[in-house]
Amino acid sequence: MVRGITPAALAELARTLTATHDVFAPRRCGDRLVLDRLASAGAGELPWNAYRLPEPLKAIWFQPGRILARWPRRDGETAPRPRVLFGAKACDLKAVACLDRVLRDHEFKDPGWCAARESTLVVAGDCTDCAESCFCSMLGDLPYPTGLFDLCLSPAEGGYLVETGSERGERLVADHAGLFSDAAPESVERRADARAELAARVRRQNERFPVRDPFEKSVSKHDRTRIWAELAATCVECNACNMVCPTCHCFLLHDVRAGDAALRLGLWDSCFSAGHARMAGGLTPRLQLTERFRNHYQHKFVAFPRNWGITACSGCGRCIEACMGRIDKRECLHKLETRWIPSEVAQEID
Amino acid sequence: MRNDFLPMPALVEDVIVETPTIRTFVLQLAEPMPFRAGQFVQLFLPGVGEAPFTPSSSPSEPGRIEVTVLAAGRVTAALHELAAGAEVGVRGPFGRGYPLHELEGHEVVVVGGGVGLAPLRSLLYTLFERPGFARRVSIKYGARAPQELCFRSQYADWAARPDVDVTTTIDRPSAGWNGRVGLVTTLLDGVDVDVRDACAVSCGPEIMLKFVARKLVDVGFRAEHVFLSMNRNMSCGMGICGRCNVGSRYLCKDGPDLSYAEVQAVPYALG
Ligand SMILES: Cc1cc2nc3c(=O)[nH]c(=O)nc-3n(C[C@H](O)[C@H](O)[C@H](O)COP(=O)(O)OP(=O)(O)OC[C@H]3O[C@@H](n4cnc5c(N)ncnc54)[C@H](O)[C@@H]3O)c2cc1C
Ligand code: SF4
Ligand code: SF4
Ligand code: FES
Repeated sequence: MVRGITPAALAELARTLTATHDVFAPRRCGDRLVLDRLASAGAGELPWNAYRLPEPLKAIWFQPGRILARWPRRDGETAPRPRVLFGAKACDLKAVACLDRVLRDHEFKDPGWCAARESTLVVAGDCTDCAESCFCSMLGDLPYPTGLFDLCLSPAEGGYLVETGSERGERLVADHAGLFSDAAPESVERRADARAELAARVRRQNERFPVRDPFEKSVSKHDRTRIWAELAATCVECNACNMVCPTCHCFLLHDVRAGDAALRLGLWDSCFSAGHARMAGGLTPRLQLTERFRNHYQHKFVAFPRNWGITACSGCGRCIEACMGRIDKRECLHKLETRWIPSEVAQEID
Repeated sequence: MRNDFLPMPALVEDVIVETPTIRTFVLQLAEPMPFRAGQFVQLFLPGVGEAPFTPSSSPSEPGRIEVTVLAAGRVTAALHELAAGAEVGVRGPFGRGYPLHELEGHEVVVVGGGVGLAPLRSLLYTLFERPGFARRVSIKYGARAPQELCFRSQYADWAARPDVDVTTTIDRPSAGWNGRVGLVTTLLDGVDVDVRDACAVSCGPEIMLKFVARKLVDVGFRAEHVFLSMNRNMSCGMGICGRCNVGSRYLCKDGPDLSYAEVQAVPYALG
């Protein structure tokens, strides 16, 4: 059932939850919005993020430097405080679906990720605007959440429509029933129109990068061509694209001493750095930048769909905004599809 | 929830000096860790780091495993400092292990270089424990110098088994060495097995694997029957940390052994 909530009631809900949860929500910072922990005190409405925030959600569930294990084992560790996350968009949730595959849904599980997912209420929202870099449409995705949320907010007259996406979400609404109202049927219709309109806008803004083929095909056909040198020409190997990417999950398992004990840390890492796959003796499988550049595309658009049935790119455009070399993933994907010059095939090495 | 990043405690029961640069650590595990030959473990030195090794002992003894370690860098140098009684940690097992089902009923040529014989030894034990499983086991092993040959005291025992032969070589002539001289690939010229039907399993440095694979195919082996222990940096062992991929595969989960046919399908996989 779809309900309604006013901005003031939503703010009250968020602040009530701070008593029992760590609440993460958009916060105004200059002329930007950032994802931050909400203080319990203070009044005022929660700012509405019209599209995804600058931070990928992995920043709170798969932190840049997290403790993976303590040695020796310490029993009776306290469970993490439950969390609530406001401001998630469709592309954020697609990235969560990708990371769930790698970190949860197979024989090995990342306990930190599983616990964080389990203990976080996700309050997602429709996109009501898009950044210039947004290209979820090119991945065949839509700019409103269709799953993996507990509550989903859509702006409507006088506040928001609230859709529940899980039992947990239903319970949350039931526990704070006084804050919610019934939704008018017209506003539910208007939500569908607004969603369709924004989806069309995202499509339109990406018409300049027409692609027809599945990216898996466009990328694999360049397995051995020299196009990568051209695409990577302005890459300065800063690793920013991987750091901001919500689906990138490479990490360095780093061991440190802590008194008599030892800590095992997971530090964000990037396949763009030359030492990433370095082996003993100094041999590096992808010594050339062009090979590492290709690997980034190969992993997201070929390996990931083959292994996990989903493309490891949500079209969030963060890598486009972060790139010091002004490399636009859409342009690269477009070139990969349209350019196919047999004479470019590099001499096979093996 | 089980934490696969947390190693299981293990006690170093004995340290065997194999060569000036290679030592075998006999580990008594807190609990048995059943593994298949070719699966690897991560050996953990608290606060120092971790490195992957394929046990060189038989899978039939899952509570007391041996890992044979070449001093190659930071963690392995620290391991070489350990004496009996030291406490370490072990995670695993990881990976698929050797493709035993592919070897069954065939002649098997085992090609090792340097410390590469260590992982292969657990395969050898597995084959020796199942008489008749492989039609024959032909071991070709090379090292740089005579004193670098690993497990030297065992070759005679191995060769005394029915249907097992051992040939060794060293890279360069050396005083007092009367055996063969030359790279391990030279042992594959005119190898006396039915090459169209035989399988080969090889472990060693990447450059060696490349030339061994080419040579085996040259002499008539099918690329699908040549299995290579691919060299990659492995850390998490679970397909998460992202450093061990060859094409679309994570070697820590789908390897480390791939057939040469699989390797050839991936651009630039062998250097
Ligand atoms: C499946 C598998 C099985 C193996 N089995 C065996 C075996 O049975 N016996 C054996 O002897 N060996 C084996 N090896 C090889 C062994 O794991 C390596 O020799 C060992 O990891 C070396 O660790 P190290 O810390 O001593 O070497 P180092 O060279 O010090 O470090 C190795 C790793 O540390 C990091 N590193 C160190 N310095 C740098 C730098 N400057 N820049 C970037 N990164 C750096 C890199 O991640 C590098 O891969 C196996 C390897 C694999 C993958
Ligand atoms: S590759 Fe770029 S657009 Fe795709 S999910 Fe990562 S940051 Fe977003
Ligand atoms: S990429 Fe799509 S879903 Fe993500 S913020 Fe932009 S419009 Fe919204
Ligand atoms: S070792 Fe981490 S992905 Fe394979």
